[in-house]
Amino acid sequence: MLRVGVSRLLQQGAPKGRAALGTGATRAQSSAPEKIEVFIDDQPVMVAPGTTVLQAAAQAGVEIPRFCYHERLSVAGNCRMCLVEVEKSVKPVAACAMPVMKGWRVKTDSDMTRKAREGVMEFLLINHPLDCPICDQGGECDLQDQSMSFGSDRSRFLDNKRAVEDKNIGPLVKTIMTRCIHCTRCVRFASEVAGVEDLGTTGRGTDMQIGTYVEKMLMSELSGNVIDLCPVGALTSKPYAFTARPWEVRRTDSVDVMDAVGSNIVVNHRTGEVLRILPKTHEASDINEEWLSDKSRFACDGLKRQRLVYPMVKDSSGELRACEWEDALLVAARALTGAQGSVAAVVGGLVDAEALVALKDLVNKLGGEATCTEEIFPEDGSGTDFRSSYLLNTTIAGVEEADLVLLVGTNPRFEAPLFNARLRKAWVHNELDVAIVGPNVDLTYDTEHLGEDPAIIEQLLAGTHPFSQRLKAAKRPMVVVGSALLARPDGGLLNARLQQLAHQLRAGCEGGGAWRVLNVLHRVASQVAALDLGYAPGVSKVRNAPPKVLYLLGSDEGAITREDLPADCLVIYQGHHGDRGAEIADVVLPGAAYTEKTATYVNTEGRAQQTQAALVPPGMAREDWKIIRALSEIVGVKLPYDNLAEVRDRLAELSPNLTRYGDVEEANYFAQASALAQKAFF
Amino acid sequence: MQGQITGHKRKKKQPAISCYYKMATRVVRSGVRQVKPLLSVDSGEARQRVLNLYKAWYRQLPYIVMDYDLPKSKEDCRVKLREEFMKHRHVQDIRVIDMLVIKGQMELKETVEVWKQKHGIMSYWRDTVEPKPKGFLNKFLDGHE
Repeated sequence: MLRVGVSRLLQQGAPKGRAALGTGATRAQSSAPEKIEVFIDDQPVMVAPGTTVLQAAAQAGVEIPRFCYHERLSVAGNCRMCLVEVEKSVKPVAACAMPVMKGWRVKTDSDMTRKAREGVMEFLLINHPLDCPICDQGGECDLQDQSMSFGSDRSRFLDNKRAVEDKNIGPLVKTIMTRCIHCTRCVRFASEVAGVEDLGTTGRGTDMQIGTYVEKMLMSELSGNVIDLCPVGALTSKPYAFTARPWEVRRTDSVDVMDAVGSNIVVNHRTGEVLRILPKTHEASDINEEWLSDKSRFACDGLKRQRLVYPMVKDSSGELRACEWEDALLVAARALTGAQGSVAAVVGGLVDAEALVALKDLVNKLGGEATCTEEIFPEDGSGTDFRSSYLLNTTIAGVEEADLVLLVGTNPRFEAPLFNARLRKAWVHNELDVAIVGPNVDLTYDTEHLGEDPAIIEQLLAGTHPFSQRLKAAKRPMVVVGSALLARPDGGLLNARLQQLAHQLRAGCEGGGAWRVLNVLHRVASQVAALDLGYAPGVSKVRNAPPKVLYLLGSDEGAITREDLPADCLVIYQGHHGDRGAEIADVVLPGAAYTEKTATYVNTEGRAQQTQAALVPPGMAREDWKIIRALSEIVGVKLPYDNLAEVRDRLAELSPNLTRYGDVEEANYFAQASALAQKAFF
Repeated sequence: MQGQITGHKRKKKQPAISCYYKMATRVVRSGVRQVKPLLSVDSGEARQRVLNLYKAWYRQLPYIVMDYDLPKSKEDCRVKLREEFMKHRHVQDIRVIDMLVIKGQMELKETVEVWKQKHGIMSYWRDTVEPKPKGFLNKFLDGHE
């Protein structure tokens, strides 16, 4: 594996903004050199030295056609589509790879440029099949678009066209390799971003092929991104094959809830069903850049299966029977009234903040105190009192500034694939070092495995572990704690030690108070909002004092089972899928999935974002907070909000950050948390 | 359009002052635009027409109840008649009033000639129309919320 050095990166020219590398420690020394002037179509532009012709043109507002060049991948320069004329140069130059020189006059629309592009296009089309009518890329194909401007209307090619065998690289990505134009974007993505060196090229010239050489699955949690990257229809989505054309689908910007990262997505839907989910570039590219994990991308087919579509009530024979809303709400309300305050709620991982606040208000109004999340977080010491104790404080983009990351009890590759992609990016470009305490997992980059023993954390805190020196020497260290670790029986103690370790490391940090060391990586989308609203993490409260009525809001992990509850306990389940929660329920209230409601989610950084309703909930299902609101009125403790704006006012009343969409609300109480942890354990 | 163009041509030959005078009158005229009346020329006449229509209906009501065998009394019908007229009490525009009167007359004719059917008359009472649910809970149960 070649790690791209800083020198090489500088030579390529840093892409704009923080997206490239941020202000890494290694970058700080090279103070900004003087800008040079170049002319794009006689328009003067001042650019930093090392900028490529293509980037300079982009600054001037001129887009140069390209196939192989991609902002977030290394430069290959093999498609030749970006050839442009430079004055006093005999031959056209490849804009994506050529750094500009002072005073260059680039002509992006001259005869020579046009002829070069037309020539390239003719060669590309020689071997490209004319199957646009049956090609899934049709309508969003770079080759199709650019051939409209630079393609010839007839072919001079009389021989047989090349045909390439299709490869089988798994159930997600469909390959039609005859369409491939050898831009190698997928190869570069796999080796640079995804970190699986499976794709490559074999053969030369007309015999060149992209593939895995031996039949092999593309084993990456980011493999779906090659579908978006492929400029032609060679790599397309298998589940989406022959489903719809891009001009038929409606697009709704939303937020993913499959993990706690909160990736920005575009939901593509038509005729009341979600057809596919594509990544959306976050404005500041702070979250998912333009990638999306496979789980988020391909999980949308589950939105049509096993849905709860009508309210259900258990009949005398113990079977759930479909009924009207009125009946189900009445049964639930009678039980809630009869419970006389012995009411508890457990919420799952996919619940939005609006439903969370409504349920908490309802339970509290009825006199219940136990509102819990399924996901566990230690409550010793300061517990969840300080936001900084349970957030990914450094932020996802902040990883690019770190120089040493200690992962404790987490496998970010599966818990938060895009966070892992950031770690890998920093490892490739910034010489980031990563160490793991916990199972030795393959994170697609080199890691130092310190061991699985929790005692290592103690040693690190005491400074007796060999790795302690490295930790102390680090300028911007990060400690990333997995939520799975904190769910252990000794999670409280481990958390206290890690808090202290992080606080200790903070003293020697370069950024001073602004740099945060402690990071908690959550696994579920609802957890941060739930903790912000005052839910108690873990279901121990419910176990210790079983209520008469238990309200499950989308809790399907089986944290509470029938055995934990007394026989006369009535279980109300509200959620969108028939799963473990609905199985043990006496009353089932069908809710909406994340594509069907306009709702607030807070990601592991503490960034509030909102999903937009792309569809209406299926059947009789309703938006979650409305169900709780309606139920509250029947019970007789009417919640004081009738529309979304009023619910959000209530959210803001409890925790103002929940409605500041797009912003990371910072938190900084490490010293206090650390002191309280000290008090609780040592 | 044709007239305007010829007028313009003629105007050119005339002295400048009279040209301005003519333009000024044109501007004033377009300010208070005269409209063609439908029936009435002033509000008094329109009012009279409305009253006449009301009386005509009022006198026909007993026969309508009888002819159609309506399950309503004369008094019910009078209340409804008044209600239907009062529905338009805010109308000021004479032409609109006239048009409403014309429509009312057509309606009366159709009713008296028994060109309508019983349910056509009964639909004035909107017995079968369910009112839209009000309040969060009713809307929720109705499927609107």
